[in-house]
Amino acid sequence: MTSSGMRWVLGGAATVTALGVGRMVARRRRRHQPDREGGWYVVHRGITVNRPRDAVIGFWTGQERLDRGLAEWATLERLDDNRWRCVASDPAGGGTEWRAELTVDGPGRLSWRVTEGPVAERGRVELVPAPQGRGTEIRAELRWRSGRVRQLLGLASRHDPDLALRSALRRIKSLIETGQVLDTRHDPSGRSPKQEQATDRIRERLTVGGRP
Amino acid sequence: MKALCWEGVRKLAVRDVPEPTIRAAGDIIVKVRASSVCGSDLHLINGYLPAMREGDILGHEFMGEVVETGPDVRRIKIGDRVVVGSVVACGACWYCRTEQYSLCDNSNPQPVFSEKLWGHAPAGILGYSHAAGGYSGSHAEYIRVPFGDVGAFTVPEGCRTTRWCSPPTPCRPAGWGPTSAA
Ligand SMILES: [Zn+2]
Ligand SMILES: [Zn+2]
Repeated sequence: MTSSGMRWVLGGAATVTALGVGRMVARRRRRHQPDREGGWYVVHRGITVNRPRDAVIGFWTGQERLDRGLAEWATLERLDDNRWRCVASDPAGGGTEWRAELTVDGPGRLSWRVTEGPVAERGRVELVPAPQGRGTEIRAELRWRSGRVRQLLGLASRHDPDLALRSALRRIKSLIETGQVLDTRHDPSGRSPKQEQATDRIRERLTVGGRP
Repeated sequence: MKALCWEGVRKLAVRDVPEPTIRAAGDIIVKVRASSVCGSDLHLINGYLPAMREGDILGHEFMGEVVETGPDVRRIKIGDRVVVGSVVACGACWYCRTEQYSLCDNSNPQPVFSEKLWGHAPAGILGYSHAAGGYSGSHAEYIRVPFGDVGAFTVPEGCRTTRWCSPPTPCRPAGWGPTSAA
């Protein structure tokens, strides 16, 4: 085969591969889209905590433990009986602030509504005993509203409420079970600041993929 | 401090890196006295496990002296000579309480990557790539060990450092996890 013929073959193969990868990414992105219900995006996530339900409820009511656990992540301030002010610290810098109203709906059931914040959001949490005495399931439902423009902006600023919910559940589980949440971002390495930034981006992208 | 860093497939270099600090209440900092090379280090060096990043510090079988402890550490004391299991385990989740330490739910801070690869994220492992939590390894002067009370074991007086670091011993905690955690 001539070398120009070889180039054509290679070029064709590259194009086919690129198309295939593009289609795969598109399919994955579609699959990752949350359900929609009356203009709201809806996701359901859950996690099992290896503690009885009362211990899980106790965690939420122990303000000191909650504060210590959330220290690196957000500050929570009680405004009155059922209103809280929450300032979240963004790992990339620049705090996102929102106010939320929390309502206790019954034993082991609460709901919240963001009253002021960048995204209209509401959620519900229910604590259910896990089968075979394996502790407590935290079942969460999150709804948020975002228009097409918002959605595009949201994707650009990498704000994904579903992802945020999943990592929040993981953190809560770890806090209740161990009293701490581990993080390895920016642990010692031989990376330059630029390589560290690239690694952060890859870490985030790998995390966003996740289970459909 | 000096550390042996992965720079790319089959490329290693000794670099000056920042020293580790206590980041969680159960952390301990160990001054590494001996760190052995495991067969599985070769998988990382050769790119067989494709979750390494430039600058990652290798090493997961080691012993040393405890120089700092977090506020929640009870069993381990500063000055203790310890051998550390490479699998990070919290000692409190369902898997840890049923002695399945390598499946710990709380020790892999970036579990979604391995969830995607394997369907379930296993525990974090020190110095073992970003699929195992992205922890800095022990081929360095100091290392941070999370959940120090669970993963570190004091070495009895009279045992020489080099003997305790020979591969069989650290491989044991790596294989079936810390036994005295409960
Ligand atoms: Zn090993
Ligand atoms: Zn565990």
